Amino acid sequence: MVDKDNNSVEELAPAEEKSTISRRQFITGMGGIGVGIVLGGTLFKGFLLPDEVIAIPASGGYLLVDSKKCQGCNTCMMACSLTHHGVENLSLSRIQIVQDPFACFPDDKMITQCRQCADPKCVSACPTGAMHVDDETGVRTVDTAKCIGCQECVNACELNLSGAGWNFEEKHAQKCDLCLDTPFMDADGGPGGQQACVAVCPTGAISFTTEIPVQTDAGYEVNLRDEGWAALGYPIDDEGKVSPAAAAAASGH
Amino acid sequence: MATGGYVGKILRVDLTARETSVIETEKYTEWGGGHGIGSALFWDLCKDKTVSGRDSGNVLTFMTSPLSGTMAPSASGRVEVQGIGTAGYPVNWFTRSNFGGRFGGQLKQAGWDGIVLEGKADAPIWLDIINGKVEFRDAADLWGKDTQETQQLIWELKENEEHGWTEIGKTRDSGRTTQKPAIITIGPAGENQSSLGCLVHDAGNAAGQGGFGAVFGSKNLKAISVVGTGSIAIADPAGLLNARIWAKEEYAAAPGQKVEPNGPTFGVDPAPVFLYAKNPDGPMGPQACQGCINGCRARFDTGIANESSCQETSMYKAFDTLAHGEGTDASYIATDLVQKMGVNSYELMQGIGYLYALSKMGVLGKGLEIDTDLDMSRVGEADFAIDLITKISNREGIGEDLADGFVRAAEKWGRLEQDYAIGILDFPYWGYANHGYDPRAETEWGYSSIMGDRDMNEHGFNANFWSVIKHMMAGLEMPVSAEEYAKITTAKMVPYDDDPNMVDYSTENIYSESFAKLVVWQRHYTRFWKQSALYCDFRYPDFTNYNREDNVGITGDGEPKFWNAVTGQDLTFLDGIELGRRIWTLDNAIWILQGRHRDMVQFASYIYDIPLENSLVGPYYPMAGKVDGQYAYINVLGRSIDRDGFEEWKTHFYNLEGWDPASGWPTRETLESLNLAFVADALTEAEKLGGE
Repeated sequence: MVDKDNNSVEELAPAEEKSTISRRQFITGMGGIGVGIVLGGTLFKGFLLPDEVIAIPASGGYLLVDSKKCQGCNTCMMACSLTHHGVENLSLSRIQIVQDPFACFPDDKMITQCRQCADPKCVSACPTGAMHVDDETGVRTVDTAKCIGCQECVNACELNLSGAGWNFEEKHAQKCDLCLDTPFMDADGGPGGQQACVAVCPTGAISFTTEIPVQTDAGYEVNLRDEGWAALGYPIDDEGKVSPAAAAAASGH
Repeated sequence: MATGGYVGKILRVDLTARETSVIETEKYTEWGGGHGIGSALFWDLCKDKTVSGRDSGNVLTFMTSPLSGTMAPSASGRVEVQGIGTAGYPVNWFTRSNFGGRFGGQLKQAGWDGIVLEGKADAPIWLDIINGKVEFRDAADLWGKDTQETQQLIWELKENEEHGWTEIGKTRDSGRTTQKPAIITIGPAGENQSSLGCLVHDAGNAAGQGGFGAVFGSKNLKAISVVGTGSIAIADPAGLLNARIWAKEEYAAAPGQKVEPNGPTFGVDPAPVFLYAKNPDGPMGPQACQGCINGCRARFDTGIANESSCQETSMYKAFDTLAHGEGTDASYIATDLVQKMGVNSYELMQGIGYLYALSKMGVLGKGLEIDTDLDMSRVGEADFAIDLITKISNREGIGEDLADGFVRAAEKWGRLEQDYAIGILDFPYWGYANHGYDPRAETEWGYSSIMGDRDMNEHGFNANFWSVIKHMMAGLEMPVSAEEYAKITTAKMVPYDDDPNMVDYSTENIYSESFAKLVVWQRHYTRFWKQSALYCDFRYPDFTNYNREDNVGITGDGEPKFWNAVTGQDLTFLDGIELGRRIWTLDNAIWILQGRHRDMVQFASYIYDIPLENSLVGPYYPMAGKVDGQYAYINVLGRSIDRDGFEEWKTHFYNLEGWDPASGWPTRETLESLNLAFVADALTEAEKLGGE
């Protein structure tokens, strides 16, 4: 439904700089189409992605979200960019909230976060092993030193809004690492640690679990609403279609 | 230069020449941000400060703060708008408004700390800001469209409008975002230069008071759209995250849970603020401005009146109930329509009351003295609201008179003095509608408004009224006694924290120096912390917070903590208040150049002559006040303002500010002590410097 990465090649890096640039910068400078041609062949894939792919360990944790409980303040996005990069930038957030102020609830918000897939297409697509599974935690994450900027991971992700993103400031792929690598957060992150988005969400619309969630079309969209939420006047049924007033009327209370 | 919180540049737009230039933010950072920088820019760039709001010489500023677009709780989303307004009466005072949402964050991410608008375009245009690129675009196709249609049309012009990453430059490294451009726009009311015209952003954010919609209209500017992908530098990222978590855990409502009732403060629960006679009962979800600790709004399954809250939702309540005996869909339709047409709902609400009174008196109606085809028998019905709002927005029929404000309409009809005298024209200060917090009862609201330029709309002390009312209605005991409330509150009111009588609303105290200190503190606190740092009025100041065992709110500790984490400065709470004093004094100098003098500072006559008998919620208006030397929650209804008492109070106020009590003009000594010698020079030249 969405062209995740329609990069233009109109502004290429000047030729005279090529002699001094790294392999990553070279491929970045070529733009998406050029990269597609190179990586579509066997040059990288042949030696970096052997056929004998072994079973990938499960992630040590997962983010669950409830877009019907989300207030759309984007604080999670600001926390994500702040803890990972030390700056505020919604575009650098690995969790994305997309809203339409005029739409009808509950179709007014969409949250996309990496699902830490059992079969991570982003990892399989990566020609260099930059996108990898962390040995200790099972978290799918990026070794930025190995990233060549080809964006195969971004394109491979099957979510409507790719869980893997392109950091256009630091020039590497990035994705939710459950706060494993957060140089600007005092607390330890990763499974067993603190996730910045969970820690700051005002309404409790994001949670963390170590259980592998059931994979459906809705992804890890779950119902995090309880009776306290209903007391505020908001629906707590899964679909968000029944107001507390209507629920009370239906039950005779 | 980009430093903690600031992104370094202010966009200067010459609409006449269709040219832009850059002002280095650094030149103005001594003013903090928001209002402070806006006033300083206006002072420097508006050469003739006596022009009317609709004059092309008027200068309009949109300023963010270092906190905009950051995680500082409930301070990330607001933008301060300033310039000469069109609503003030008898003078179009230099005035302010601000609006929430996400415009400020997008503007900062685009690399701009603010926007200055000068001149007038020769044809309707809109400004398209994409990071550092600014385009003047033809608005012929947008002119006449309502605020929702306008925003949707602009979004449709953007590629990949569907949910997804949008590349906003020509290369993949020039930035990408999932966010829709943030747009501030006028509706038909602003296009037709009605002083009721608002600036509207998304569904429910508006700079409503002041009449800035008419200023946009006069400049042929339909909208400003901005999208940005740049980063905002933060001096202490880990410190900012820690502060946010501290605020959430120590002061905010438990996530998604109902808490002890309170007024608009930091610790209230994340429920939308509805004042409809009958609140929407369909499914809805929460909605908040960027970075809010707990939002105050909702979006609905119908999409009608999305993001509307508080006063907008009470705008048609009384009339709907009058017509139907209960609340109906007419209220939602009226609320939705003011957002779309971009009409100031405060003025409209009191204005409909005025029209209704005139019709009952046999003065206004078809074939009557004020002849109109407005069908007054339909007041309270949706069709009446649609007819009236449309007439005002398009200046049709009686709308031609009303489009310049109800006070100017009354003047045109030769009824101003008589309708003030009987109190049916409820516009107590500078031609602005009564907010519902009447000067006779909630005296600080009236005093702050009349000493300023507009209905002040600051809920710091008003929050206590709502706290008591909500507890009364729920049959609950107040968590704090009036004595404890006064102790907690006055302890935070530096530098006057040694005076426990400041929040005594008894009739014996409202003309005192102590009560003047309250208003002076409020003017200085809000000028910096709320209107320059841009902490939201609905969450700050936080005096009493019932989520804490000691009931002591975040104010005093919170404001500088977030500011310093973002900026790397070492600003104290009192430093901010003192900067607020400086900004407030500069504003007063602008009003003085526009003609302000102590003698003009008067309420409409009914405020002195007719005692107030009812509040918004009935025959009780509880505030803290002393009885026999002890604080209690007292009912402040049944009184009017004493003329001589108010004059005594003004003298206290001017003395506390260091302004000449004879004229209300600042002295050179005061101005120089605030590093405002250049203002003293300008006032000397205008022969308006206060005597020592």
